[in-house]
Amino acid sequence: MNEMAKPPVPGIGITAKYPEIGTGPCDTAIYHEPEIYEKEMAAIFRRSWYMIGRVEQIPKSGDFFTYYLPTFRLEVLVCRDRHGEVNAFHNVCTHRGNVVEHRREGHSSGLFVCRFHGWSFDLEGNLAKIRDEEGFFGVDKACNGLKPIPMGIWEGFIWVCPEDEPYQSLEDFLGDQGRDTAGYPWGACSQFYQTEAEVNCNWKLVNDSPAEVYHIPVLHPKSAAPTMMASGNVMGRLLDTRVRGNHRTNSHYSVLGEPKPVQKLAYFHAAAAQNVVQEQLDYEMPVGINPTRSPFWTVDLIMFFPTIAFTLSAGMYTAHQVWPLGPNKSIYQQRVFVRPARTAAERFGQENTMVEFRDIVMEDFSTLERIQRALDSGQIKQFHYHDHEMALRHQHHVVTRILADYDREQAAA
Amino acid sequence: MTDHSLPEGFADLERFVPEWVQPDAEHRLAKRLSTDMDAIKAFYGAMLARGEAALAWLRGHELGTLPPEGENLLRLMLMLAEVAPAVEWYNDQRVYDGFPVERLRYIHQISDTAAQV
Repeated sequence: MNEMAKPPVPGIGITAKYPEIGTGPCDTAIYHEPEIYEKEMAAIFRRSWYMIGRVEQIPKSGDFFTYYLPTFRLEVLVCRDRHGEVNAFHNVCTHRGNVVEHRREGHSSGLFVCRFHGWSFDLEGNLAKIRDEEGFFGVDKACNGLKPIPMGIWEGFIWVCPEDEPYQSLEDFLGDQGRDTAGYPWGACSQFYQTEAEVNCNWKLVNDSPAEVYHIPVLHPKSAAPTMMASGNVMGRLLDTRVRGNHRTNSHYSVLGEPKPVQKLAYFHAAAAQNVVQEQLDYEMPVGINPTRSPFWTVDLIMFFPTIAFTLSAGMYTAHQVWPLGPNKSIYQQRVFVRPARTAAERFGQENTMVEFRDIVMEDFSTLERIQRALDSGQIKQFHYHDHEMALRHQHHVVTRILADYDREQAAA
Repeated sequence: MTDHSLPEGFADLERFVPEWVQPDAEHRLAKRLSTDMDAIKAFYGAMLARGEAALAWLRGHELGTLPPEGENLLRLMLMLAEVAPAVEWYNDQRVYDGFPVERLRYIHQISDTAAQV
């Protein structure tokens, strides 16, 4: 795809652009200590927003999906109401606390009927009908509708906040990172595979996994390495890491190597989306994507701290999301988003994309529980980060700073 | 199965039907993990040789309109995508030294054959 003869090999110097982050070894305590995790829950997680789906999942009035937020043990119901607005509620019947809607997705004719005692709620969350109401002792229907959960939409993604009064707005939470990546055709990639796994490791290790490419030549010798190391980039270095507040973006250097035989079929005969090149774009690339405007760019890892990152190329993207469950336990969710296929051949291209990303992430994840064991047993007390592992150093810096601010806030209260 | 479970011109691939025709991605992964590498390589080799021809046929057919034999041909090609890393990257059904892929749960899948546009 990039046909220039001698692309420049990326150098060292990313960390030096952000002197406040430092260069020394980093203490690993934040990766395993239970007291730190508890503090993170209050200072970071309860103050953040969480992506739970996309507007394309509920195109028509009455369409709904439900979602469980494992970190907060919250059940959420998202639906499109009679006016076409997206609403999000705590999926909890106000009678006895069962879920109001038990299905993962579907269409409601206008009422959500609890399968416990049959209380029903409309698409705006109002308590519409109490079955055998005369047996109650003056329940005020107007005060017993479904409880809304704070919800916002960015670029078609539906986000919720676990706090009734969010610490910050969704717009402020996303900040410059959100502004600079808006305009990518997020909604055009309307088809997705979603998988998940419970991983016995701290949430930061899940974030770390795709966030450095120092490991690429060693951990991915046959899969990702051939393109990312091509044309003399033998150390598999990045083009850049760009910090925006708590968020960050890694831009990946890549030159097309010789594809494997089935990749060749997918790329050249089935329009596989990971192979869309910049010259073929039908949209203008936002300033926050391929921010260095390198012709040797193929992929950005766009991180929205603390729990979601997008591996994004010109024609498709993968969302990596972590749900913390404890100091050394997390749920990882992966969604591979691709553009809709028209022909049956393009369906093959989609499958090739999904299988490649899944297997490469399985290569990445081989390390996570092993690292966590070394952390939990005290066998590794410090991490030494390479210049091109700067994203991990930045995460350490951000977490440490937020926890220190929180301590001061608590002391002053 | 009749003797025409694949479109005309693909009789040489009939021997892979129905064993390698799986209903969705989750079953394709299970098939890969439960099949020995000799059988995977035999399937991979035969399918790769006919890959361009199969994709040419599939390119002429829109999702949502496939006849049953076209669905079978598409699902054989989707199975080729599934086993490709086993042959090309790992020489093993499993991701070499990888996280156990059977711990991954499929939550949402793209339909193999339904129209998407």
